[in-house]
Amino acid sequence: MEDILLYAVHVGEKLGADFVEVRGQELHKTSVTTKDGKPEHIREGFEEGLGIRVLARGAWGFLSLRKTDRESIREAAEKAYKLALTSSREIKEPVKLAEVKPVRDRVVKKPKLSPTDVSLEQKAELALSIDRDIFSLVPQVKSCTVNYLDVVGVNYYFSSEGARIQQDSLHVWLRVYATASEGEVFASASEEVGSTKGFETFERQVLEKVSSRVSRRIREQLKAELPKGGVYPAVLGSNVVGVFIHEAFGHLAEADLALAGSVTLDKMGKRIASEATSIFDDGTLPGAFGSFRYDDEGVPAQRTPLVEKGVVVGLMHSRETAGRLGVQPTGNARAESFRFTPIIRMRNTYLAPGDQSLEELLEPIRFGYYLKTLRGGQANLDGTFQVGIQEGYKVIRGEVCEPVRNLSMSGHTLQTLLKIEAVGKDFQLWPGRCGKGQTAFICDGGPSIRVGEAQLGGRG
Amino acid sequence: MNLLAYGEKAVRRALASGAQETEAFLAKGRCFVVEIERGQIARSSSMVDEGLGVRAVIGKAWGFAYTNKLTDEEVEKAALAALRAARAGKPDEAWKGFPASRKLPKAKGTYDEEVAGLPAEEAVNLASKMLRTAQSFDGRVLAVEGSVGVSLVEKAVVNSLGVHACDRGTRTECFLGAIAKEVGETTPLCFEFDAHCSLRINPEKVGEEAARLAVSALGAEDLETGSYTVVLGQSALLGIFYHSLIPSLKADNVQRGKSKLKGKIGVNIASELLTIHDDGLREGGLHTWSFDDEGHPSQRTTLIEKGVLKGYLYDSYTAGKEGVESTGNAWRSHPAPYAWTPIIEATNFTVTPSTISPERLLSEVKKGVFIPYVQGAHSSNPESGEFSVVAAPAWKIEEGQVGRPLKGVMLTGTIYELLRNISGLASNLRQLALLVAPWIRIEDARLVGRRGEEG
Repeated sequence: MEDILLYAVHVGEKLGADFVEVRGQELHKTSVTTKDGKPEHIREGFEEGLGIRVLARGAWGFLSLRKTDRESIREAAEKAYKLALTSSREIKEPVKLAEVKPVRDRVVKKPKLSPTDVSLEQKAELALSIDRDIFSLVPQVKSCTVNYLDVVGVNYYFSSEGARIQQDSLHVWLRVYATASEGEVFASASEEVGSTKGFETFERQVLEKVSSRVSRRIREQLKAELPKGGVYPAVLGSNVVGVFIHEAFGHLAEADLALAGSVTLDKMGKRIASEATSIFDDGTLPGAFGSFRYDDEGVPAQRTPLVEKGVVVGLMHSRETAGRLGVQPTGNARAESFRFTPIIRMRNTYLAPGDQSLEELLEPIRFGYYLKTLRGGQANLDGTFQVGIQEGYKVIRGEVCEPVRNLSMSGHTLQTLLKIEAVGKDFQLWPGRCGKGQTAFICDGGPSIRVGEAQLGGRG
Repeated sequence: MNLLAYGEKAVRRALASGAQETEAFLAKGRCFVVEIERGQIARSSSMVDEGLGVRAVIGKAWGFAYTNKLTDEEVEKAALAALRAARAGKPDEAWKGFPASRKLPKAKGTYDEEVAGLPAEEAVNLASKMLRTAQSFDGRVLAVEGSVGVSLVEKAVVNSLGVHACDRGTRTECFLGAIAKEVGETTPLCFEFDAHCSLRINPEKVGEEAARLAVSALGAEDLETGSYTVVLGQSALLGIFYHSLIPSLKADNVQRGKSKLKGKIGVNIASELLTIHDDGLREGGLHTWSFDDEGHPSQRTTLIEKGVLKGYLYDSYTAGKEGVESTGNAWRSHPAPYAWTPIIEATNFTVTPSTISPERLLSEVKKGVFIPYVQGAHSSNPESGEFSVVAAPAWKIEEGQVGRPLKGVMLTGTIYELLRNISGLASNLRQLALLVAPWIRIEDARLVGRRGEEG
């Protein structure tokens, strides 16, 4: 692989490109899907390919290909260069990359138990064991789907600036999705496990926690009431805070979206939340699902402060956006695979914990909601966000009362951040996958918080 | 060597090594995208991809393996890996086999020589036209993101029961997302799109419409919570249908107790104004192919006729379970379909339009809201059909016309209430992803705004 990558870089340079980078990937994936006690799909796959990105006259040309013979590589590099020239025709603000020190490194992963040393039978049995737990814990369960995935590979990054990186990659992931019904009421719950450690991630107590969370959520939803829509005070659990921080704030702090007009750029250096609020995007947490050593532009991952004590202090950058704004890149450029160009993605994004207990957070609420677990969320550039709730409860005089279902929360990010009244001392990271045209493995998280006003869509 | 030849090789190898039945799916794709970012064209990308996925069955257990290296050696390796995966599985008594060989219909209007041979420069010209039209519309408009894409895809399926099928298609699409900015105000992203199998896309119209929507979203007001007549545009319908209706029409969800439509065939579940077909053979449809991703012939399936539920979407596995015919809805995910095993997916999910113009549909509304896009539909509950989405932006319908913009509006309800409350459909049929639909008007929709209910 190395000599092919070098060759591609040389071809691009010779043509007169300002910058050439070549990413190479060799991947081995296995996945298992079980449905209702049966291993429906056991799959294995091998992929190999290259992505060549060329900067010329201030514009990008990118080409991805599978073939690794010299002739195809030469043609591909030439074509990428031509694409850059074609794109540059009407360029007004030429792309300028922030300078970085070209890295030469070899990153070796040595997991306790590599997924490649685990048989397909064992992986299927892992998924089936969770399926059995869920069906035995809740009799009303109608269906249970378990997805298991591991991706083991090597990523290469070579550039015309002299970067030569070879980096092992390892991801293991599992998701449980169960549904139940009783009469006309349908309930569903899901839970994910994901890490950049080995197969040892799936220890018994982790799996037991997954099963017990899924079953509790299903039981609560089956007896839940339909809530009334409107504006109420609420305590958001760590899981909801994570997705709020990721969707409602994190995306707006991605420098490409900030430059595109999201609300964060104007707020740099300004207070947007109370002193209790600090937000980080951290790619260095050992074993976390969104961690890595170097991003797909060869920039080392780091812990990037986005909000400190309520003040916006930074954005997440690629070399391109950092160059545009005259700052340092943060190691957030990631590509789903060799098929895609790197774009700005979050890593492990979280709200830092505070000092309040859950009781203290709930205490001042006369009537409101405790939104414990989410179903998904989305945000728009103008700061409007929406988070669907899987598990929620009424709160009456500081006490958690009856469960409610089909609740969702929406609002404006900046208004909601200003309404954070108190931050809990509990803390958890939740693995997930984020879609922004490409899929990225990430974590989000934080402690529980209390917000003075949340706009809730219900049906009562 | 062509795709079919590699497919035959994989099938032969798996059979020779002990598979009782086997199937190879192959895809080859070439796509080209010009991207607009923050008001300029700054990037063009090209992707060339090909690969093969093999399913092998031993004793009713099946395994799958794929590779993106089409060489004799790697194809053989994938066939053997599929067998290994099958041996690790457990027999499934419901497995009735791969689809048998049948006469395949022809997909019409899905391949255009002109698209297949379009030079990169021409795609950049189209993107540049779209961008210029949007930006000259109004100084407050910023074209945030957009693209012009061209693709050519070839698919093949070979199986041990004699299926030996190959088809190809071309697609072009353009898309532009714009915002308008004034002091202290940024609108939500407003977008417009156009996609066809031929070169019929109109980038100038897309640019102008995205810009017009963005400008008209300035000065948004809060809405009072309450019950309204709502007119949903295609993008909003796609979000809601894809996440709360289509899942309930998939046979696997019905069979597994995950659908409220279980046992409702022949039952009235929607307004009699509503008729929906899944039309895998729609002429020029973006999801039209001669056969599905396991080689079963594509077809037109009636799902809802005048409000009455008529059928579900099947692949061969779920059809085998019930002893019925597959509806040709096996589908493999993107961007590398050969790397996935098939799941059930709608093809061209087609809502029958009326002859009423969109203007007339609006003119009959007294107190209403026009909702072209929704946000957060993926957080719907696909089993119960309950949804709660943000309509950003939305516009008031006043005096029968689209009027002032609104912000922070949520639309909540269940898909079944929504289907029953349909009071009209327009004639403006168009396709967005897998949805082909006109605007649809809904009565008594629950909107939650930032102002409380009065009185």
